[in-house]
Amino acid sequence: MTTLTPGSQELAPPEIQDTPLNWIKKNLFSPWYNALITLILLGLFVYVAYNFGFWAATDAKWDVIPRNLKLFIVGRYPNEQLWRLWLLLALTCGLAGLSWGVIARKAAKLFSKEILIGIGVAAFVCLLIPTAFPNRLLLLGMVGLIVAGAWVGKQLGQAQPGLGKWVSLGWSLLFVMSLWLIGGSGGLEAVSTNEWQGLLLTVFTAAISIVLCFPIGVIFALGRQSTLPVVRWLSIAYIELVRGVPLITILFMGQVLIPLFLPEGMRPDRVIRAVVGLTLFSSAYLAENVRGGLQSIPRGQAEASRALGLSTPLTLILIVMPQALKAVIPAIVGQFISLFQDTTLLAIVGLVELLGISNSILANPQFLGRFMEVYLFDAALFWIFCYTMSVASKRLEKKLNV
Amino acid sequence: MTSQQPIVQDSVNGSSDPAAEMIVAQDVHKWYTSNKFHVLRGVSLTVRRGEVVVIMGPSGSGKSTFIRTFNALEEYQKGKILVDGIELSHDLKHIDAIRREVGMVFQQFNLFPHLTVLQNVTLAPIWVRRKKKQEVEALAMQLLEKVGILEQAKKYPGQLSGGQQQRVAIARALAMQPKIMLFDEPTSALDPEMVREVLDTMRSLADDGMTMVCVTHEVGFAREVADRVVLMADGLLVEEATPEAFFSNPKEERTQQFLSQIL
Ligand SMILES: Nc1ncnc2c1ncn2[C@@H]1O[C@H](COP(=O)(O)OP(=O)(O)OP(=O)(O)O)[C@@H](O)[C@H]1O
Ligand SMILES: [Mg+2]
Repeated sequence: MTTLTPGSQELAPPEIQDTPLNWIKKNLFSPWYNALITLILLGLFVYVAYNFGFWAATDAKWDVIPRNLKLFIVGRYPNEQLWRLWLLLALTCGLAGLSWGVIARKAAKLFSKEILIGIGVAAFVCLLIPTAFPNRLLLLGMVGLIVAGAWVGKQLGQAQPGLGKWVSLGWSLLFVMSLWLIGGSGGLEAVSTNEWQGLLLTVFTAAISIVLCFPIGVIFALGRQSTLPVVRWLSIAYIELVRGVPLITILFMGQVLIPLFLPEGMRPDRVIRAVVGLTLFSSAYLAENVRGGLQSIPRGQAEASRALGLSTPLTLILIVMPQALKAVIPAIVGQFISLFQDTTLLAIVGLVELLGISNSILANPQFLGRFMEVYLFDAALFWIFCYTMSVASKRLEKKLNV
Repeated sequence: MTSQQPIVQDSVNGSSDPAAEMIVAQDVHKWYTSNKFHVLRGVSLTVRRGEVVVIMGPSGSGKSTFIRTFNALEEYQKGKILVDGIELSHDLKHIDAIRREVGMVFQQFNLFPHLTVLQNVTLAPIWVRRKKKQEVEALAMQLLEKVGILEQAKKYPGQLSGGQQQRVAIARALAMQPKIMLFDEPTSALDPEMVREVLDTMRSLADDGMTMVCVTHEVGFAREVADRVVLMADGLLVEEATPEAFFSNPKEERTQQFLSQIL
């Protein structure tokens, strides 16, 4: 901290004349070759954008999207059971809002200008979605749930500092409940996994694999660092074996080879096999990421902890792991994003996730040749999910970097 | 000042014999397995209750290695070490018991950067001694006041100066209410103007009667506070004397040579 002696003048920083025009001049047109590059790129961009816009506005037959919207999102999930998915979505939105509020409880303002704009855009998009009007209202309600959850979470979080534990518990409960709500049985009508399709299946397989691969990856990372030779060798063998094989091979083994070996009644469900494949694959990569984090923590940290009398497990849980994981959040989230995208490979082994259902819609003579429209729509859906993850990870990082 | 209790608590125990041997090291040998380096070549040292022993010596002579054997951060292959009457063996139970009684302060502070100052100090008492959080926090605040950083309790280590961090590290070790404190060059990583605040803290700790083993090259501190000064060179204890004798009238040539370099 500096203190100004009385009488000394506080120096204002030199005035920076950074008008937008100046910025453009300086950064885009400064030496002549930059100007040239700028113009060429601008021309290219305008050309592409114009052609795309022209196609999107005139040639494209977008009706393929609204007419198949239900297929895209949930595939052939029985109509009379759809309420279960709505309920699940509502619970997820509410809990997500609540968590956000609890995490941001100390923030001065929960709804900053950007966030308000984001909420506004989301609400607007919900109203525009080409589906039955009640559905649009329901979607709007979901946005409302997030906002309300955030508000409630903030109030509760301020009143009750130890709320974080309950929120984590809530997510664990929701995880179990999602299995029950989607799959049924135990009071609800069972819906066979053959009918879990479209975006539902994409999100489901990705979410479960992400949740499962995390602890498994951490265990293998620790195993690789272990002083017990057998544990270390097994971990290294597993990690290197899996990393040496393409994901599609693992998925093929799950879908094609396992049925050859196991008799009809004993085969695990196809979706389970897919999830296991994805989990095994990404846990090996996750283990390597976590190992990087573990190695970045100075030895003195564990030594100080041991010197205080903390046992090895406590040292790991309280001192080393939190720092190691924090260091590799960007890498881990990056991996989760690619895992989400890797679920498209399931279409190749015959599961009808978003890409799979898109292909079967495209096979319908009515919609023949609408590749662009359908794949652009898929891409937009993927982008929304991946971008959300990316933003969430940036926020988490920022919050942890005190 | 407020009516603070002295931090050193063992005088309330039954075994408050002032001559009790807190650390006994007998003919300790250690080899680093990685390069077969014979780093400790038969070192013996006894530290009694309430004594302050300063270890000096050239770089690489094995000072850190030696004091790190006292809380089993380093293993040794030959000889015998007793800490507070408990023999340091490979038995993990003994090691954990000893670590609870021996606090250590490192050259690089080694504070936990993801925890606040207060959390750094309260972590071990809560998880190791299983004390109640409120109780520990009260003690922690008292310790932070003692080392003069009460206002920083809610900050993170990265927001403090080096001297402040080292004082937090001392408070963190004291929170376990250890019987012995080990210091491994606690001021070597500090800017000169911060050395004093740390030495003052250590001095007041010595005044409270704490048993201390300090590796340090602070001659002023050694002269004033130490009961004995020890010179270590090439894995051996070369000379052991009172500060007066050590600095004014060293017997061994090795000591004279070392002192001529640092004085
Ligand atoms: N893990 C290790 N493996 C092999 N050799 C080591 C290891 N740690 C230290 N040494 C060696 O052991 C010797 C003594 O090291 P130590 O750190 O105890 O010295 P020191 O007296 O504390 O020196 P300094 O004043 O530089 O801290 C040095 O020569 C060092 O190179
Ligand atoms: Mg050293």
